[in-house]
Amino acid sequence: MKNADATPLIECRNIRKHFGEHAALDDVSITVDRGDKVVIIGPSGSGKSTLLRSMNFLETIDSGEILFEGKPAGYRTVNGKLVLDNQKNLCALRTQIGMVFQQFNLFAHMTVLGNVMEGPVTVLGQQKAEARDLALEMLEKVGMADKAERYPATLSGGQKQRVAIARALAMRPKLMLFDEPTSALDPELVGEVFEAIKKLALEGMTMIIVTHNMGFAREVADSVAFMEDGRILLKDPPAEFFGKDCEQPRIKSFIDRIM
Amino acid sequence: MILALLCVLCAGLLHGPFQAHAADVDELMRQGRDAMAEGRLEDAEAAYLAVPAPGAGDQEDEGEYASARMQVARLRLAREDYDGAVQAARDVLAHFSGHAEAKNLIASIERDRMPTWERFLKDCQRFLPSLLSGAAMTLLLVFCTIIISPVGGLIIALGRLSSFRVLRMPCWFIIWLFRGTPLLLQLFFIYYGLPSLGITLKPLTAALIGLGVNYSAYLAEIIRAGIESIPAGQMEAAKALGMTYGQAMRRVIIPQTYKRLIPPVANEFTALIKDTALVSTIAMVELMRAADQMFNTYFNVTAIILAGVIYLFFTTVFTFIFERIEERVGVYEKR
Repeated sequence: MKNADATPLIECRNIRKHFGEHAALDDVSITVDRGDKVVIIGPSGSGKSTLLRSMNFLETIDSGEILFEGKPAGYRTVNGKLVLDNQKNLCALRTQIGMVFQQFNLFAHMTVLGNVMEGPVTVLGQQKAEARDLALEMLEKVGMADKAERYPATLSGGQKQRVAIARALAMRPKLMLFDEPTSALDPELVGEVFEAIKKLALEGMTMIIVTHNMGFAREVADSVAFMEDGRILLKDPPAEFFGKDCEQPRIKSFIDRIM
Repeated sequence: MILALLCVLCAGLLHGPFQAHAADVDELMRQGRDAMAEGRLEDAEAAYLAVPAPGAGDQEDEGEYASARMQVARLRLAREDYDGAVQAARDVLAHFSGHAEAKNLIASIERDRMPTWERFLKDCQRFLPSLLSGAAMTLLLVFCTIIISPVGGLIIALGRLSSFRVLRMPCWFIIWLFRGTPLLLQLFFIYYGLPSLGITLKPLTAALIGLGVNYSAYLAEIIRAGIESIPAGQMEAAKALGMTYGQAMRRVIIPQTYKRLIPPVANEFTALIKDTALVSTIAMVELMRAADQMFNTYFNVTAIILAGVIYLFFTTVFTFIFERIEERVGVYEKR
């Protein structure tokens, strides 16, 4: 299903990010082509979320380069220092990148429908009627159309996360970022969210998923990346990644612990 | 001719007895004074009571009769013979209908003998018009401040949260200054102090600036706390959708603060109703000043009590309104 366009959709080159002394991202490079489904795993504190949030400019990197559709994105260089680009450019980039958070972050004061309509109406300037049809279509896709008039507080975690996915999809993004989408869910609710993401993957959406869920990695991923201490230690297709010939003992022990 | 003769005759006839009469009056007044001085109150009253009413056209004794009868009235009042006292005062009025002291005496006796509730109603009738016009001014001050201060407060709060130092510092300074000094002092400075800097303000303008800025400073801190209480994930989700900071604030963050803001803001506005009393010190006639004026004119505490009742009425209505708003705003948090 890969796009013929050879330019990677998003590319991080040698990015570094420090929180005080601690190096959250230590010279990380990763390339994601159109249609790719990349799963990032690794122990907590390894920099997975930071990497994902950097791609959406919610986290500011100290050095390195991020290219979106082949063009440097999100930063300007002022006196040799990397400075976040102006708000207008950042917003334009973010409309093309959907993000789903571990804690859902649905807008508590809006109904399910209102949440999904909010981006298209406020950011893209769509007419309400048009945005409503679009929102219902997206809610249908995640199986939440019947809860359109409910408020988030009345939904289960799995339902909230599916609404959050619909909200991101309504912006018609080119890339979807999932930051531990099922980590805050009760085990019996993981499946419904997993199904929604899998459906999206089958439609050819480009996505990067940070997760501990190995099912994702095996079933959905084109490649699996393992991170530790702010570095990507390995990035391989799942067959090889989970293969018996995995040489790095740390990765093996991590996978064994999780599975 | 006959008429003229009659007139002269009459004049002569009248003049004779009245010379003697005048002497009697002086004698009786002297007896009265002496009896009073010696504490023989009954004798004094009898002497004063004997002073005859003045005849028609008699000018000289008018004053003597009136003062004698007023003495009688006072003596009767002293021994709690209210009917008698009123009768004596009426005697005076029968001859001198404009006698103010007699009128006041009757009025005050009647007022004292009125049932308490009737006296209270009379006072209400007397004080309410000026108290209500004072209350209207109080309401005007409250409403203007309620419109000014949330806007000012929001601007200052957003300034405080800004990442730009040039915006943050002045906003911090305003809050520091206006929360750290008494409102009374601020009002004094604006009304009495600014003229020396060449700025002269009308009392109402000075009052609205003082109340407006002071309450903006207080609301700014409440609003800032409200904004900071919204989970950071809400702002991140809004940004991830591609919203600008302004859009995120307007559409996502600020609407969610409303429910949290209402109780502390209601608290501030209730305090505001009472704080408007402070502007009475800068030549504003509002409810407190009106009550104060009534009290100082009549030495009647009813005016103060009535003002208190009006303040209570205002604060009660406010509390009720804010409770209704709070119920409505928080619908989405109910499960």
